[in-house]
Amino acid sequence: MTETTANLADDKADGKQRPRLPLSVLPIIEIAMLALLMLYPIFITYLTAEGEALDFNNYFVVRVTSIILLAMLAVSFDLCWGYSGIMSFGQALFFGIGGYFVAKLSEETGMTSMLIIIPAGMLVGLISALLVGWFLLISKRTPTIIFVALGSLTASFAAERLVAGWQWVGAGNGMSIWDFPTLFGTDLEPGIGFYYLAVACLLIAYLASRYLVRSQFGLALAGIRQNEDRLAFLGYRLQAFKLIVFSFAGLIAGWGGAIYAFHEGFVGPATVGVTTSTYAVLYGLFGGVGTLIGPVIGAGVIEGLTVILSDNETLKAYWPIALGAVMLVVVAYQPTGLVGLLVTQRERFGSFGIRKGKKSSGTDDAGKADGHD
Amino acid sequence: MANKHANGGGGITRRSLLRGAGALTAAGWVAGFSGGWILRPRGAFAAAPIKFGVATDITGAIAPSGNSNWQVIQLAVKKINDAGGIGGRPIELYLEDTASDPKVAVGNVLKLIQQHKVDVVVGGITSAMREAIKNPIVRRGKTLYLYPQLYEGQECTEHLYCTGPTPAQQCDELIPYLMNTHGKKRFAMPSANYRWPQLLNKYARALIEKNGGEVVFEEYYPLDQLEYSATVAKIKSEGVDCVFNTIIPPGLQAFTKQLYESGFQKDGGAHTCVYFDENSVNYVPERELEGVYTCLDYFHTVDDPVGAQLQKEYAEMFPGTKYLFTAGSAATGAYRAVKFYEAAVKKTGGDLSREAVSAAIDDVAITDVPGGDSRMVPGTGHCALNMYVAQAKGGSYEILSSANMVPPQECG
Repeated sequence: MTETTANLADDKADGKQRPRLPLSVLPIIEIAMLALLMLYPIFITYLTAEGEALDFNNYFVVRVTSIILLAMLAVSFDLCWGYSGIMSFGQALFFGIGGYFVAKLSEETGMTSMLIIIPAGMLVGLISALLVGWFLLISKRTPTIIFVALGSLTASFAAERLVAGWQWVGAGNGMSIWDFPTLFGTDLEPGIGFYYLAVACLLIAYLASRYLVRSQFGLALAGIRQNEDRLAFLGYRLQAFKLIVFSFAGLIAGWGGAIYAFHEGFVGPATVGVTTSTYAVLYGLFGGVGTLIGPVIGAGVIEGLTVILSDNETLKAYWPIALGAVMLVVVAYQPTGLVGLLVTQRERFGSFGIRKGKKSSGTDDAGKADGHD
Repeated sequence: MANKHANGGGGITRRSLLRGAGALTAAGWVAGFSGGWILRPRGAFAAAPIKFGVATDITGAIAPSGNSNWQVIQLAVKKINDAGGIGGRPIELYLEDTASDPKVAVGNVLKLIQQHKVDVVVGGITSAMREAIKNPIVRRGKTLYLYPQLYEGQECTEHLYCTGPTPAQQCDELIPYLMNTHGKKRFAMPSANYRWPQLLNKYARALIEKNGGEVVFEEYYPLDQLEYSATVAKIKSEGVDCVFNTIIPPGLQAFTKQLYESGFQKDGGAHTCVYFDENSVNYVPERELEGVYTCLDYFHTVDDPVGAQLQKEYAEMFPGTKYLFTAGSAATGAYRAVKFYEAAVKKTGGDLSREAVSAAIDDVAITDVPGGDSRMVPGTGHCALNMYVAQAKGGSYEILSSANMVPPQECG
């Protein structure tokens, strides 16, 4: 990184041509994913119409809406592990709590407005993450990765057992949400409208996360990720940073969980439990942590494979094994995930150098970080 | 910071790309979109088929019951199709596996409704499953739903019809029989922690106390609890003479084993479980079933020519199958569901819209079903059934008492 800055300083001084930085693949992937998500319903409706009238609220649109909401869970995991070194093995806790909270709220008060569901999910996700993070992340000595991983896993497991035995939230049966959510008065049934709402939510959450990790704050996170101790010696309060990121991740997970509960019409102990938490980790690792778009792709591919494989006639009896094999192979041979196939290591880590085009004046700017380039 | 082209920085090389792509294509999954199990009727039919959806547990803890449901429905539909279908229209069966897991089931049921666009769904066995899938089917899917299993009652959702026994139908015969004929007064209620045991126990408790008995304890355990030594110890120490068991698999096997090994039945204790039937040997060894009391709408030993004939046809269609055509597994309820639907569609003259069929099925009677004729009680969504109190003896059930056309007493 210093090499780049030094080069720029030299080249400007010499009047030479600046070396071209390698192409940034990540923004291309992000834009491609966005375009794919925006156009998918139209594309799939035409593809599966089979001569009948076009039905935009078809099964494939609804199925992918669920996947998009799970991608929000994946993004929240990436914020923790990919950017702050917090191996959150219990991210589904916040996802499920968001769902349970709005389900119970809807049951008690009959409210179904999306304008209440979303903030409620965010709020309860934030508060629960704050509480869990306070316990796990704040201490005299920075907790080890394994402590945080097992601690969050235990929290998720405990929550699952708790709701499975608590009649007020439906115990083992879970809670069925009978009503559709409403937006400005009209019912929002699962279908194309709901799909675009989910895409909008994912987009906003994604942009917010992206802004966070590419800001000054993100610079500190990059430092935490690379060498915690060094950053601590520089005077940064690591635990505060970690708690903030963890809470923000919890907010996003709760947000996704609240909408997910209303989309599926059902929330049960499994939603808040260990299996879903592990899936969050898998989406991240499979897609590529540290890139935000990686887990989104990971969620899409894994859930998509689940749907396709479980339908395939020959594989019906043992499709989970096939899926597990695929995931194992990718994680073992490609630790940087699917996105790592296309994105260089340098781009994943990011460089927080001088912004292109700004006049450099030697040592003054060499130390000044201007955000991600 | 060496030569960037030597893959020091982790860029793509041909090798790594091939490795990555190879891994995925070795998995090779570019399968088509359609799937699930579909059974098309054999033979040529002129009219468009009726799409019949089945959402039951083919895998998971409840698989023995789910598979028997699926096979029995196939038998019922085959008989109808062989006789020319309903009004000349054949029935096409679509199966989705609910995998004994409500979370998975919700997604799979969606496939039945939205992708295959079935006209009716029969399915769900445990109440937890029914509660999870009734929303996608009835509310979001706007499809008729027939629930075939014995359950706790109080399911009064519109367009949802229950073709299995209710607590009134099961307990009103069984509990007085145990108390009056066998003098059982002290009851224990070990239960799984979900809706069905909770509501069934409430009903049973009222009946026990009305007949002068006492519920010594009523406890709820997580579905996967395997440790019942404390429970069994309490049963022995408190002098319980009748265990009203509502534990379900996967905890069931551990409980019955520990109860049997404590010698409870040997000492004269009565074990009763209202969903035990001939299929239960797929869950629990026969010696632990010996002497258990139950009350259901059909047993193989009931003197019923229709039932006997159906058993023969079932054995012909599925030779050597371990999934038996029994009542506790919802199989008789599933058979009745198919027959009720057939009768309703005949009544509407072929109109398959939910409103029409629902209105028709609300007040229809069927014959030709195991256990005896059955009739829907209008306005309630439940049906009157013949009920038989029986006890397990050497693998089959000895009928102790019976009652005809017992009313369901639900949603009235």
